[in-house]
Amino acid sequence: MNVFRTRLPARLLPAGHPIALHRLAGLSFIISLLFSVQAFASTDSPTIRLFPTTVVEDLRQTSSVAKEMETGLQEVIGRLDQQQQLYQESKCDGAEDDPGCQRLAKQLGATYLDMLGIMEERLPDMEHTVNNTRLSLEKRLRSELGNKMTPWTLQETLLGGNPQETSAPSPTMRGRSGMRLSERFKQYYQLVASSSSQTDQSLAVLASDIYLDMEETSELIARTREEIARATLVEQLNQSFGTITPEMMEIVGGVKSILFGDETSPMQIAGPPPGSIEQAYRSPLEN
Amino acid sequence: MRKLKLSAPFRGALLIATCGALLASCATTPPPCISPQTKNLNHAVEDVKSNLRGGACAAHFDRYYDELLSIAEGDPKAENKRIFSEFLVWSSDAGLLSQRQARDYYNRYFNVKFTSMQGDYNNCSHTCPRRDRVMLNMERELSDKERGLLKVSLDNDGYYRADELYQEVELVLEATCTACNAVR
Repeated sequence: MNVFRTRLPARLLPAGHPIALHRLAGLSFIISLLFSVQAFASTDSPTIRLFPTTVVEDLRQTSSVAKEMETGLQEVIGRLDQQQQLYQESKCDGAEDDPGCQRLAKQLGATYLDMLGIMEERLPDMEHTVNNTRLSLEKRLRSELGNKMTPWTLQETLLGGNPQETSAPSPTMRGRSGMRLSERFKQYYQLVASSSSQTDQSLAVLASDIYLDMEETSELIARTREEIARATLVEQLNQSFGTITPEMMEIVGGVKSILFGDETSPMQIAGPPPGSIEQAYRSPLEN
Repeated sequence: MRKLKLSAPFRGALLIATCGALLASCATTPPPCISPQTKNLNHAVEDVKSNLRGGACAAHFDRYYDELLSIAEGDPKAENKRIFSEFLVWSSDAGLLSQRQARDYYNRYFNVKFTSMQGDYNNCSHTCPRRDRVMLNMERELSDKERGLLKVSLDNDGYYRADELYQEVELVLEATCTACNAVR
């Protein structure tokens, strides 16, 4: 049974899928950036408290667990890549009956099982810390943006005080744009680092983005945990027959995109370029 | 054939009656509320003001505002913002618009903030239950801002920020409303 074969929308993908792995792999980077964010936030004492120490501590925990998982997977993923390359170079496609190819397929399957094993071992911790972080952020978002703010004050927070002041650079890509997680958070960091007056604004967007990613990651982890046992059983059966399955090939392909970047990420369309109006007119009618 | 000959006093009375009827008909015909014929925004605003004075053409205010925007699109410049602002302040002073209406007309087209995202209650209770509608209204307003900020006033920065704000609101509301709705 092909557990990882069908292409589903990102939200429905099992965490063993490259996209899910991709999200997990980005978590540690998120956390390291958040500590930087926290540092900036503390210097300007923001009026909204989206990242109190409890949330930061949860994120730190998630960071270390994610890092462990990444490290563990990276090694096995490297092996998978090499074995797949060897399999293809040996022209084993279509020559499955060849004893040498069968041996290679078995080795590849065994490495694949190793990967599933690592995930099975690490995922409970990962799930726990991701859920903690998600719940902490959820509480802060509900309280700070949901219950303490009106639509208008939220808008003012996002505009960062002075809506006419647009000179501070901000990233073209924002939100859940489908770009690499690490790249997105790098841009968040740049936004926060660029202007201390935009702290609240950036933190609101940052908290929202992380929370939604955590939601998705949490779902993916839960689904993966459900599927891993089944995938392991299927692969053990495959081992008996010495075959290499399409989902294994897909995983190895996905692994490459995780490690070396996803070249198929859609390009974002930039907005219109900033104008060069010397002095903006301010109407007495303006809110 | 005998010609009908009317006496002088009778002819005078007939003339007066005809003129009276004509004058009466003039008084009941609605004014034409014509569109401004010039492509100069300042002159067009004066034309519109003269039509709107007295209130007979007040029902055409939306059309006039739209026509003024179209004229301004033909000669976009930063100063147009001020012309529209002054026109709306005049409209408010003349009693054609309330203060609030004047503000909404201005801000919908020329301000970065969204008038369609307002409310006195918190987001969990007010915005989240109608999030789709709020976003749809904001999308429509963004298109008006494109016209006002970008095409009329050449305020690229302002429009760029409004577009960004729209995206941020979409993201933050998705997260906030998910958090508000979470029952754990």
